[in-house]
Amino acid sequence: MNDVIVSMKEICKAFPGVKALDHVSFELRSGEVMALLGENGAGKSTLMKVLSGVYQRDEGELEIFGKQYGDLTPKLAQEVGVAIIHQELNMCRHLSVAENIFLGREKRHGIALANSEMEAEARRILDELKIDLDPRQVVGELPVSKQQMVEIAKALSTNARVLIMDEPTSALTAREIDDLFRIIRELKEKGCGIVYISHRLEELQHIVDRVTIMRDGQYITRMDFQDTSLDEIIAYMVGREIKEKFPRVSCEKGKKIFEVKDLNAGRMVRDVSFSLYEGEIVGFAGLMGAGRTETTRAIFGVDAKDSGQIFLDGAEVAIRRPLDAIQAGIVLAPEDRKKDGLCTKLSIRQNIALPNLDFLCNRFGVVRRDKEDEVCARAVEDLKIKTPNVETDAANLSGGNQQKVVVGKWLARNSRVVIFDEPTRGIDVAAKVEIYHLMNRLKQQGIAVMFVSSEMPEVMGIADRIVVMCDGRVTGELSAQEATQEKILSLATQFEKKIAI
Amino acid sequence: MNERKQNPIKRILSTRGMGGALTAFAGLIAIYIAFGIINPTVFSGQNIMNLLRSMSKYLLIGIGQSYILITGNIDLSIGSVAGMSAMISATLMTRGVHPVAAILIALVCCLVIGVLNGLLVGKWKLPPFIATLGTMFVARGVAYIVNFNRNTDAIASGIGKEAADAFGNFFYYGSTLGIYNTFWIAIVLFVVFFFLLSKTRTGRHIYAIGSNADAAKLSGVSVLATTTKAYLVSAFCSCVVGLILCGQAGMGNMEAGNMYEMYGVAAGVIGGVSPLGGTGILLGTLAGAAVWQTLENGLNMIGAQVGIQRLVIGIIVVGAVFLDVVIRNGAYRKKTVKRGSAPKAD
Ligand SMILES: Nc1ncnc2c1ncn2[C@@H]1O[C@H](COP(=O)(O)OP(=O)(O)OP(=O)(O)O)[C@@H](O)[C@H]1O
Ligand SMILES: [Mg+2]
Repeated sequence: MNDVIVSMKEICKAFPGVKALDHVSFELRSGEVMALLGENGAGKSTLMKVLSGVYQRDEGELEIFGKQYGDLTPKLAQEVGVAIIHQELNMCRHLSVAENIFLGREKRHGIALANSEMEAEARRILDELKIDLDPRQVVGELPVSKQQMVEIAKALSTNARVLIMDEPTSALTAREIDDLFRIIRELKEKGCGIVYISHRLEELQHIVDRVTIMRDGQYITRMDFQDTSLDEIIAYMVGREIKEKFPRVSCEKGKKIFEVKDLNAGRMVRDVSFSLYEGEIVGFAGLMGAGRTETTRAIFGVDAKDSGQIFLDGAEVAIRRPLDAIQAGIVLAPEDRKKDGLCTKLSIRQNIALPNLDFLCNRFGVVRRDKEDEVCARAVEDLKIKTPNVETDAANLSGGNQQKVVVGKWLARNSRVVIFDEPTRGIDVAAKVEIYHLMNRLKQQGIAVMFVSSEMPEVMGIADRIVVMCDGRVTGELSAQEATQEKILSLATQFEKKIAI
Repeated sequence: MNERKQNPIKRILSTRGMGGALTAFAGLIAIYIAFGIINPTVFSGQNIMNLLRSMSKYLLIGIGQSYILITGNIDLSIGSVAGMSAMISATLMTRGVHPVAAILIALVCCLVIGVLNGLLVGKWKLPPFIATLGTMFVARGVAYIVNFNRNTDAIASGIGKEAADAFGNFFYYGSTLGIYNTFWIAIVLFVVFFFLLSKTRTGRHIYAIGSNADAAKLSGVSVLATTTKAYLVSAFCSCVVGLILCGQAGMGNMEAGNMYEMYGVAAGVIGGVSPLGGTGILLGTLAGAAVWQTLENGLNMIGAQVGIQRLVIGIIVVGAVFLDVVIRNGAYRKKTVKRGSAPKAD
């Protein structure tokens, strides 16, 4: 037991303009959970993609189960026993759960697919993991958290002995996270080696044995989790100490800026009412699927509203489409950055300029390059977006840096209300603090901030007032002083009693 | 967990893509009956036979194009490849080459175009619209060049009347068990390709790369091999259509198969194949091809002018997809609304 099963030495990998990996070393023993930590863009995902055959390394040695490998392909890596759960969901939406699980290694009778066999096997795997899903269901119809569980089931079904999890929990609900940790512990018992990447450092204590830390594409250190502290880990990751994880500035609460009255939109937004005041950040807490995202979408005019009124500075505003909201001064940084937040084929410059073209163009509709440069430079600087230059495609940024672009494009405007939907998902500690600072700055400027987050510590740490939602309704409101985890959770699980038939 | 035993009919009805196919079949029946009421000869045995025969070309083209559409690509070279197949086989036969040899040579040439399409799209990542636009012109160019920019003489002039008749009968004029051979050819190929798409690994991979090529690739699916196989199927079907056209005319026509790639798109799309990739079944394409041909045939029988025919067909194609989009959006909305209620109190 506990022999080294993966050893990577002096790995280098460059992309155009970026040295993503610079002589990085990494090792993994059997029966351990190794956390791989680092800021956004440190190269964690890239290193693991090298290990799983997605990328070919430029230099360095790679040894798996005592055998040296030259160029790996995803297929070869799978055969060797390496499975990876990617940071971004990688599912074929049109195929069923079972079909996704067996994609690329279908079972066959002769040349015909053995569908019922694969379905039965998939059901067995799902049952074993206690995931309640029908293997025949089409993946595109499942909520994101369930898709993530399918991804996990798929990786496990290969009987991998090296399992890489790249931010597996960022889309999971609390209960599914518990399930995942149980699964991880069982795999550990069986002698699998697990690489665990996460920006949620509080999670680590439940499962992790050792940590490897990277910064700017370089290996920094490796240590036993027991012998270190979170503060030390953060200091290694960031290269400096972070004093306050939840910086809070106090402001005088001013007049009411924004009010939503009896908003209804579909099944997930029911009679939602709340107000935002000058000089405060209002956190929206709740479980996943509580209707918070739907509420933000309805306010912003993405989804149709069934009824309800919205007031800005005392006057009612009619918002039928996002353009109405933007013109009124209400902006939204959405939750799903790939789908709603970014044009991934466009550059950072184009993404940031897009919602601001109204004032970036001269009166003939020609984009003014100098203004554009200025706005982009400010966003990159304010948010510390890590990129060679602003012409880089948004798709090539690390996940956290993509999120910063999503937020950054709204900062150039003079807004009255800024809605953040899970702005810190997948973002490293230092960048989180930057986003908190940013919210604080908005608050100081007298802009109303609506801050949706499923992570209770940050809601409690940053928000001045917390609105809790459950099942499409607002179930309560707490001030920062009175809020505790228990109180929030009890409000977040206040389901309506279903009338028995 | 409970083993869900479904009765087989229910299971077939719940196959993905079956909805689009059934809608197309329903539309087909409605259109057919409507024409029949206006002009009862539409129902005559001979007309049905003719319908089946002329539909076969669209079916084959539709199968080829559906394979490509499901991978999320498009093949604009289909019609030209059919033309190339007709011209190459006809030219060879007028020079006295044995029909079987002529067919094989034409087939090889068509498959070369298929491989080329596969490489351009799957390996070098050219946008399929552009890549196959190029091969469309190349194939049409070859069709012109093989007989020095002229249509061929009758194939009987090279291989003799008897062989030419046999060729014509095999592909077009002859019938077996009371049904034209053309339809038999199409149906046999339909069954083969239906099986390939719905029951084999290759078929599964075709859906997978159309649904999410990145995910498929990361799962170890070869995007290049799968794309190439799809383009080979399409080239093969086009080749057969070219041979049918050659058999029908008894000679090679340089413009044979003109616009067929678009008829293929129409047949697929009417039958519920999504041009965005990942969905659709060949049963739908079968219905789509039949709708297409029934419209053409019916409009002819009731004496509509060509202009009117085109117009009606255009409206039907857009209408079919429009309906599909509306229905799907409706269904999608219902689902998203439902899924939100998922979390239960622990
Ligand atoms: N395909 C690519 N093309 C160009 N640059 C890339 C590509 N993939 C990654 N990079 C760059 O390589 C660097 C490392 O990225 P990587 O995704 O490995 O970071 P990470 O540590 O996983 O970050 P995060 O925590 O945000 O997921 C980043 O600067 C990123 O912009
Ligand atoms: Mg990453």
